[in-house]
Amino acid sequence: MSRRGRRESVPGGDAAVRTYHLSKSYLAGQYALHDLTLEVKKGEFVFLTGSSGAGKTTLLKTLFAAERPSEGQVLVLGRNVGRLSEPGIAALRRRVGVVFQDFKLLTRRTIEENVRLALDVVGTPRREATAKVFQRLKQVGLHHRRYHEPLALSGGEQQRVALARALANDPEILLADEPTGNLDPELTIEIMDLIVGASLRGTTVIVATHDWSLIERYAKRTLRLEGGRLVEDARAGTPA
Amino acid sequence: MKRAGVIIAVLVRTAGRGLQASPLPSALASATIAIALILVGAFALVVGNMEGLIERFSKQLQVVVYLDTDLSTTAQHELLLRVGELPGVDHASLVTRDEALERFRATLGGGELLAGLEHNPLPPSLEVELLPGSRTEQGITAIVSTIEGFAGVDELAHGQQWLAGYARIASLARMAGFVFGAVLVGAALLIVANTIRLAVYVREDEIEILSLVGAGRVFQRGPFILEGLAEGAVGGLVALGVLYGGFLIFLPRLEFGLALMVGSSPPQFFAMGQAVAFVAIAALLGGAGSALALLGWRR
Repeated sequence: MSRRGRRESVPGGDAAVRTYHLSKSYLAGQYALHDLTLEVKKGEFVFLTGSSGAGKTTLLKTLFAAERPSEGQVLVLGRNVGRLSEPGIAALRRRVGVVFQDFKLLTRRTIEENVRLALDVVGTPRREATAKVFQRLKQVGLHHRRYHEPLALSGGEQQRVALARALANDPEILLADEPTGNLDPELTIEIMDLIVGASLRGTTVIVATHDWSLIERYAKRTLRLEGGRLVEDARAGTPA
Repeated sequence: MKRAGVIIAVLVRTAGRGLQASPLPSALASATIAIALILVGAFALVVGNMEGLIERFSKQLQVVVYLDTDLSTTAQHELLLRVGELPGVDHASLVTRDEALERFRATLGGGELLAGLEHNPLPPSLEVELLPGSRTEQGITAIVSTIEGFAGVDELAHGQQWLAGYARIASLARMAGFVFGAVLVGAALLIVANTIRLAVYVREDEIEILSLVGAGRVFQRGPFILEGLAEGAVGGLVALGVLYGGFLIFLPRLEFGLALMVGSSPPQFFAMGQAVAFVAIAALLGGAGSALALLGWRR
């Protein structure tokens, strides 16, 4: 292991995510995240909730290294995000799947090509990748539409494609930022069931949502943020 | 190794898709490179041919030392020895008066014109071949000034002045080519860079998504570099084709002018190796334009 690799790598134990006094500010004195200390264990399912501007998205962005902490530390899969180099960030993101509210699909590529992107970047051989893409699309019930372009699909279907892409590489962590924010209640349950399915297969899942009906329905550990601070950590089965 | 092959294939596919998605800007970049290289290539052809001629003439360059007509045979041989031993001289040979007349007769194609000649008017001479290192303006001047001081020497003839003048013109043309070429290549580089920068903006979403799924620097930037290389190579091939076409079509019409510039030997087009290098340079130019566009670009 290189010296840089050693420095970035910190023993994580059974934690998938750890933050120590994490703060993020874009303007001096104004915090998007403030003194956040938390831990998410491997295989755990966690809801991240709070009102708009509470810091949910900023926290998720920090976890997949789209933002660097202003203060404190963030360890994701034992890697210190604040110290990751560009290749280090890429390597981390290959182990972390991300789903967004706006899907982030390439509209001029087919569904299959969109999902394949995640496999291409790790150099998966073509035949193996094709089989894996088919399998993932089958999992989300869209294998029969793999040659369609995203805009030919409904919002729920597009989100299922995004989910298939996020799960294509069997990530250790799945981060979902308001994954059902644009969907009707029926599709919301459909997507959430798929996410919970990934959790049951051992993936650590963190879902940011402000939809309390989901939190109540799935009864998982819930972290509530307000003004960038962690104000509540309700364990699974306890009222949030 | 297999993984690298897969990654290269993906990069090539992505670059191909990028070129397909923006054919006009890509064609513009190729055309710019082609125009720049046509002009630079034309200069290179002219200068190359002039330099080839200089090299050929330099190899044949000799000093002819005309001796006094009444110089005795012994004195002629003494001079031959002295000249042959001068530094910078490869060897010298004596052309007697009879041999000179014989050559003159052969040049005229027969002896009819010289039939009425009562006596041989031609002087004996020494033909002095120079060592390669002395076939320069300074080398010839040094040898000529030494020989001029020898008794029995009447006159010296050498192509040094003509050659030096011609070399100066070639050097001027080369310098103009460099300056002109640098300006054109610089302009082409900037246009390619702007074309690629435009492509980067157009495909920013794609790059963002690639970055989110863990694509590293190679995946994000590689396709753009490949696109630049491809645009450059196409531009180079077009330029080469146009130059060759021009060489075949316009050469007969420019024969007189070219004869003045490159002498009587037929002008040469680029050799195969040079043509390959020409296209490779064009490709590198495109790649460099892409690299310039991506310089400082960071997601």
